[in-house]
Amino acid sequence: MTQTPRFKRNRPLWLVLESFLFLCLWGCAQSPQSTRTASLPVNHIELQGPAAEWRAINRLSYGPTATLMADIKSKAHPKDWALNQLDEARKASLEAPKLPLDLVSINDSLPLIFDGARREREARAAVPAGTRLNELVVNERRFNFQEQSESLFYNRTQVNKAIAWRLASCSSDDVEQPLLARMTEFWFNHFNVYQQKGSVRPFTGHYAINVARAHALGKFEDLVLASAKHPAMLYYLDQWLSVSPQAGRAGQSGRGLNENYARELMELHTLGVHGGYTQEDVRELARVLTGWTVAPRSQDGFQFVMRLHESGNKTIMGQSIPSSAQFMGVKEGEQAIRFLANHPATAQRISLRLAEYFVADLPPQALVDQMAKTFLATGGDIYQVMKVMLSSAAFWDPENKLYRTPYDFACASLRVLNVAQDRNKWLQAFGYSFVAGQGIQNWQTPDGYAFNANTWFTPEALTRRIDFALTIARNATERSDLYPYLSDTTTKAVMKQPPQQRMGFVLGSSELVFK
Amino acid sequence: MLSNRRQAIFQTLSMGAFALPAISAFANVPSSSGRMVLVFLRGAYDGLSMLVPHGDERYSQIRPNIGIPKPDGSQKTALALDATFGLHPACAALLPLWQQGVLAAIPCAGSPDASRSHFDAQYHWETGKPGSSSPSPGWLNVLSGMVGNGVGLHALGVGESSPRILSGPRPVQLVGNGLSATRAGTLAESKTREAVLQLYAGNEKMASAMLEGATNRMSTAAMLKSPSMASSNEQQAANNGAGSPQGLALDAKHLGTLMQQNRELRLGFLSSGGWDTHINQGNVTGLLANNLSNLSNTLIQLRAAFNEPNDVVIVASEFGRTCAENGTRGTDHGHGNVMWLLGNRVQGGKWHGRWDGLGQNQINEGRDLPVHHDFRGVFAQALVASLGLTKGSLADVFPGFRWDNNLDGIFKA
Repeated sequence: MTQTPRFKRNRPLWLVLESFLFLCLWGCAQSPQSTRTASLPVNHIELQGPAAEWRAINRLSYGPTATLMADIKSKAHPKDWALNQLDEARKASLEAPKLPLDLVSINDSLPLIFDGARREREARAAVPAGTRLNELVVNERRFNFQEQSESLFYNRTQVNKAIAWRLASCSSDDVEQPLLARMTEFWFNHFNVYQQKGSVRPFTGHYAINVARAHALGKFEDLVLASAKHPAMLYYLDQWLSVSPQAGRAGQSGRGLNENYARELMELHTLGVHGGYTQEDVRELARVLTGWTVAPRSQDGFQFVMRLHESGNKTIMGQSIPSSAQFMGVKEGEQAIRFLANHPATAQRISLRLAEYFVADLPPQALVDQMAKTFLATGGDIYQVMKVMLSSAAFWDPENKLYRTPYDFACASLRVLNVAQDRNKWLQAFGYSFVAGQGIQNWQTPDGYAFNANTWFTPEALTRRIDFALTIARNATERSDLYPYLSDTTTKAVMKQPPQQRMGFVLGSSELVFK
Repeated sequence: MLSNRRQAIFQTLSMGAFALPAISAFANVPSSSGRMVLVFLRGAYDGLSMLVPHGDERYSQIRPNIGIPKPDGSQKTALALDATFGLHPACAALLPLWQQGVLAAIPCAGSPDASRSHFDAQYHWETGKPGSSSPSPGWLNVLSGMVGNGVGLHALGVGESSPRILSGPRPVQLVGNGLSATRAGTLAESKTREAVLQLYAGNEKMASAMLEGATNRMSTAAMLKSPSMASSNEQQAANNGAGSPQGLALDAKHLGTLMQQNRELRLGFLSSGGWDTHINQGNVTGLLANNLSNLSNTLIQLRAAFNEPNDVVIVASEFGRTCAENGTRGTDHGHGNVMWLLGNRVQGGKWHGRWDGLGQNQINEGRDLPVHHDFRGVFAQALVASLGLTKGSLADVFPGFRWDNNLDGIFKA
């Protein structure tokens, strides 16, 4: 064969027009377009009845379980259910997670986790030279944690348990409040850490639970501070090594300032890249944060080491951070983080990202503004910002479509098929998410995964999604409670299949591929 | 596999955060020129085990357990290349290529950025912008837009689902790792395709995407299907999505086949993980030796597929490892590292650039190989010699870099 056979057909006109439109958006925008502005007055249509139920279930949870379907029907309006979910999620976030028994070690105390990592280091140092460890042994038994994990593989086992928790919590309403599972994913991704960076490995589960989950619907500044002081983040962006250059010269083997965390804190966690800060601000913030490092024996894993801290006054974005008694030492950094967390640019950025995740790839600017206004008025109360979003017409506007990411689709499959307890199915969900490019907690760089259709809706990706759907759903029990929510076209195509294959087609339908 | 305009648009939109680089003129890469394949070793491979500086007395002193012994003519020591360097015995298969003058090494190349973080450093290598962590397209993606008339598919990645170096506004072809590339999937059955088409009836976007995806996967699978491949052992390892060093050979075979069949593809990318040898890396035998042996086999395969006058294969890693062994008979993160070039145009059978030895004052921060040559300078030489790029357009690929005169001569005129 010398040439790739191509599928040939006449391109429908709308597709051609769409292409031009896309290219124009691309070429015409000065900066990447992130919201849309309505140029004409729009009569907002809000979804009603089953369509509204379907939207609420699929966006506020990872997909329809029988329990949730019954629950939403018991409410007067899906909006009531949505707001109730928000209350439930906040309540749950303040309580300990219901970890499956074999996963509890991800939420061990931080000193215990540090200790596990130390024991692995020692065990590895004691391995005779030339011995070849089977490094994959842990991955071969991926979600089977029955065997006592060896010291040699502590870190990898912790990683696998953290992934298992993400699958358990996204798929089962008994394990996790459904909206809280989504919020946890959102915040973990916003404050991304990479589970394969050496020292980060044992901490990702603890980070997801005690940073992303615990503060999911609290004050944004508390979330940033929790992330800033967690060993996972301190290690991931090298903050733990950043010291005053004077201290470095005084015997810390050439160590000095590291701008890595300070930069991402402004660029990604708070203000955004166009948030108005300069390179000098990055450097100033890095100076403010010198001495913030890990503490293996402390309950919160964090310590501030005055000896490594750079003294003197600093200025960030015109804001003076004086080294006064009131704001000395660790308080300097806390003050700076609170300032950044409550900045108007941060309010816009966080509102935009929430709206992108829950409403549309290009959410209406009016909605984002309204959310940002609430953000600023409430001191960054995420619960209140979410409430504005769920109450908005935009959330219920049928025009605002979202495409499921691979992880989202993997979780939806476990829920739709009612196999949240089946770890062999977890393996399939995990494998699909990984191969499709969204390995669970596996994004290397601090920007986190993208959530938009432009990233994930590509032809090859769609075929792999269908492969996964048809495979994981083989012989699954039919969910007749879902049929009323599917279009006539979908229902017709599904019913043509023999019963044991129907659920694969339900999963592959546009009703579940999108949300 | 991305293969037409519509997919190009999807891909384009997917990189909404980037501005298209301002490339003044197309046809920067003439269609008559060669092809370039980059083999990227994720995790920082230990170059001082592959290109052994046996002429330096310090080598065996600072690597008492993991050093490769001085050449004695046997397969249990370094294979002498000259009085300064030798080859790891696990790389014996590469010795003939060196002797034929098509394989060359640059001992002290790397990123000018000092980061010892794999992730930062890989990001810098892949965006071609050392020191910057801003969202940026991969430089192979940018380069693919400069081939021919600037449209169409000119870059192929085999193995990783979406390597940074290939991501960006230009359409590229991505093929799964190991045997997944050879699987056409459930939609290879026309009955299944029909049923899914009915599921998407009235939804042209879904229907056409599904058909395109299915068609492309079938053709990739068909191109790659051969009895020898079907029996190959699939290796799967999670190493930044990069396959294992063993799996690399299979990916290389797929890459060679696909680029042989589609001559529009001019840029190839392969990667493997498993090189981060902090503990017990071994010496003449062991973990690293096995990896190097697999790498050599891969390069032999690539040599067979890319042997036209201007083809070039380049091997690199995000940084090097410490010159001395650490307390756990491994090596820690370093700075400079050895890059390899393979091809008929390469001034092979010799090493190029600056080498000052392993003296305490010669090495970086008293611990690593220094970076005497910016990696962008090495690639720039290849882009000009092999792909026919003009020097003037190099800044479109590597904004702000400077031409490295000291590397002139790594390619034959």
